[in-house]
Amino acid sequence: MIEPDVAGADPLGDGDRIVLTFPARGDLVVLARLVASAISTRVGFDIEELEDLRLAVGELCLLALQGSDAWHGDLRLEFTVSAEALDISCTLGGAAPALGGRGDEGAEADQLSEQILAALVDAHGRVEEDGSVRAWLLKRRKGPLA
Amino acid sequence: MITDNLGLAQQLARRFLHRGEPLEDLVQVASIALVKSVDRFDPGRGVDFAAFATSTIIGELKRHFRDKGWAVRASRRVQELYLELGHATATLIQELGRSPTVAELARATGSTEEAVIEAIEAGQGYRATSIDASENEDDPLSYRLGRLDAHYDSVEERALLAPALAMLPPRERSILRMRFVQGLTQSEIAGAIGVSQMHVSRLLAASLEELRHHIDGRAGD
Repeated sequence: MIEPDVAGADPLGDGDRIVLTFPARGDLVVLARLVASAISTRVGFDIEELEDLRLAVGELCLLALQGSDAWHGDLRLEFTVSAEALDISCTLGGAAPALGGRGDEGAEADQLSEQILAALVDAHGRVEEDGSVRAWLLKRRKGPLA
Repeated sequence: MITDNLGLAQQLARRFLHRGEPLEDLVQVASIALVKSVDRFDPGRGVDFAAFATSTIIGELKRHFRDKGWAVRASRRVQELYLELGHATATLIQELGRSPTVAELARATGSTEEAVIEAIEAGQGYRATSIDASENEDDPLSYRLGRLDAHYDSVEERALLAPALAMLPPRERSILRMRFVQGLTQSEIAGAIGVSQMHVSRLLAASLEELRHHIDGRAGD
């Protein structure tokens, strides 16, 4: 029997998957952070890990958005819970590459986001596949599944 | 090397804003960490300095919060904000004659909208307790009524609620209907039935208590 945690929420378990899709706008990244918080609570991360993930998921969205004309695209976040970790994947779909390419500024911003992710999570990456950009991260749990 | 990377330290410090620490303090922590990272950096390891410094600075910023007991305070702050929201909700309902928006609650409590949503989410666990508590000025019933409304939103829960409502006296049922279905404030209900607002408050509290007992009994069947 799975016991609810202190916040009264039913925990998420191995294999659970949550998908969030929203218009690729910077002001909506708050949605990603809120969902990341709720999921972190339900997989048993402590408050420090939760804050790490909130920060990291924002960087993940930035990574996916960088260098694209994102105004017409959607960000799709997929949270997958396993016994050992939480995996978050962020895909930008439906957006054309930005006019003029990524530029030095974009590359620097990417680099900073990647460096921040490296400090906050156990693994991360950014790939371009089938015309869309996918950034991902993996945060391992310290203890056993909640 | 330090001067070249001060911008990096500032950018990283900004990422840790909204946790109750002033930006200047965070920038100071990040800048000191930058100096430390210069001291510790070993070019022979083949690691990029910016990556090494980022990791060191974030580590120091996190340690800064940890040393200040931030995790405990943050948890307490969420609980306090949740309670504060209860008072703010009751006050705003009276002032506005309707339920406040998250933006209005954020302004009233001096928080961000995101913090308000977080607190509501995190506070869900306190819902049952708040319904149990007795009605008084420090613990406005109007706030708890909102919680009850949200609490019984599934088909199963409504199925439990209907027979419980039927057991209440007509006047109490009528008050609940005015409050929840018609959305009247306690003062408006008081005016409609010719009693004081405090009396309405007490009647609502008693009705909710009775409902809760009845539902608990049925749920345990």
